[in-house]
Amino acid sequence: MANLRPDARAKSRLPLAFSIAKADDKHNEDRFHRSTKGVYALSDGASVSFDSASWARILVRRYAQKPEFTREWLAAAIAEFHKLYDRDSLPWMKQASFDRGSFASLLGVRVVDSGRLIQVFSVGDSIAVLCDGDRIKATFPLSAPSEFGRSPQLLCTNPAQNVFLDKLDVGYDLVADWTFRGLEQPALLCMTDALGHWLLSRRDEEPSPINVLREVRSANAFARFVQEERAAGRMKRDDTTLIALW
Amino acid sequence: MPYQAEISRDNPTCFLFVIDQSGSMDEITEAGRSKANFVADVLNKTLYTLVTSCSKSDGVRNYFDVGVLAYGGSDVASGFGGALSDGIVHPICAISEHTLRVEERKKKVDDGAGGIIELTTKFPIWFDPKSAGGTPMRAALDKTRETIADWCESHPGSYPPTILHVTDGQSTDGAPEEMAEGLRQISTKDGPALLFNLHVTTAGGGETVFPTSESALADDYSRMLFRMSSPLPAHLAKFASDKGYSITDGSRGLIFNGDPQCVVDFFEIGTRPKLVADR
Repeated sequence: MANLRPDARAKSRLPLAFSIAKADDKHNEDRFHRSTKGVYALSDGASVSFDSASWARILVRRYAQKPEFTREWLAAAIAEFHKLYDRDSLPWMKQASFDRGSFASLLGVRVVDSGRLIQVFSVGDSIAVLCDGDRIKATFPLSAPSEFGRSPQLLCTNPAQNVFLDKLDVGYDLVADWTFRGLEQPALLCMTDALGHWLLSRRDEEPSPINVLREVRSANAFARFVQEERAAGRMKRDDTTLIALW
Repeated sequence: MPYQAEISRDNPTCFLFVIDQSGSMDEITEAGRSKANFVADVLNKTLYTLVTSCSKSDGVRNYFDVGVLAYGGSDVASGFGGALSDGIVHPICAISEHTLRVEERKKKVDDGAGGIIELTTKFPIWFDPKSAGGTPMRAALDKTRETIADWCESHPGSYPPTILHVTDGQSTDGAPEEMAEGLRQISTKDGPALLFNLHVTTAGGGETVFPTSESALADDYSRMLFRMSSPLPAHLAKFASDKGYSITDGSRGLIFNGDPQCVVDFFEIGTRPKLVADR
């Protein structure tokens, strides 16, 4: 892939990106980052861990700067997180939680050569969706709503919690290569799990969930859409984030 | 479907540990420590884990109410000391703030770069081992029932309470079965309270773990403990299965003649909060 140049089109237009907390009085632990080089990342911080929002922020910023996930890449991200806190001065309950770790998903997308190659990287249950018009052409890493019920494996600031990566071929198991070529109306969506579950649960419905999301063009419109779906019981109440390249 | 309620600060759940402190708990296990000492250590570690799972950088979130009820001799009382000794069940924030003492322990951890480093870790103590007198199990379960009834009344929408009862012998104040039956009939809208029983022994081997029928058990006492134990809800059954235990439909939350590893697993499985999986 070294001969492929960054996407000129993406340079001129960043994708739309919106995020909303699970509730007005709750801290949003999702983070996203868009670079002008056609690299986009989002991360869903696990609520029940020490400081998942900071961990998610570090992951997306580092991925947007250097979209090459390796053991060294992860170690550097963990080291940056550890510098945020003086572990020895924390009271015991915070020290224990710090040691246990902060958890977050990471979904990164690299759009190369105007979509000739779209490289998707994912750990956890945030998903990327390749669309052609209102049709879903591919999803990664999950493809069925039932898969969201399982406990996802997430990146952690405690290295002992990342041993699952040792059993994976990072360049194969965590990556999908897609292309916009041959698609009449290509689009790429990245989203955290609540929205991913909503979309995959409705993939065969009319109006198409892709069409519904295409109408969302502002942060206010996104907030209204998410709140209506939550109120109707169709979407899980969770931090919810969308990156959309229409 | 029972046991589906999401555990949150608005709807916390309750863990109540009921601990036998009768004289026989001072018997020494094969590992060279008394049963009382070992149970106290595992209970402190469990409380530490529960607090840790609620702790974030901005403080401890009140996902759980936690209590310890200790019984031995003629006493049935809070197992906590100091500021927590006035009541039986306390919010996890209060538990985190009122330890008996904080010890320092060393542990070796992965440094993330292929090496191992030794860290000094602060380890809180809430519960010290004690062992004296008879086994007033009936009175203890009656007090448990009263405590849980009050809690459910004030938390009608919550995931129901989980009671982990640890004993090494037979009741000396009458049959406890009807108390257990009454306890298991107390419920929230999400289902009846869960009573799990652990019978510990000093001898290794011969344990019966999460049985599905009385016929698997050898005597009247163990069969009574079976009847006193709740079936494992699906998410706990799965967790127990993932830990290598043979679980089938109807497995009850009972370990009989449990060895030290069973004690550790019993506490870990019984206090596995759904919110750990629920992100």
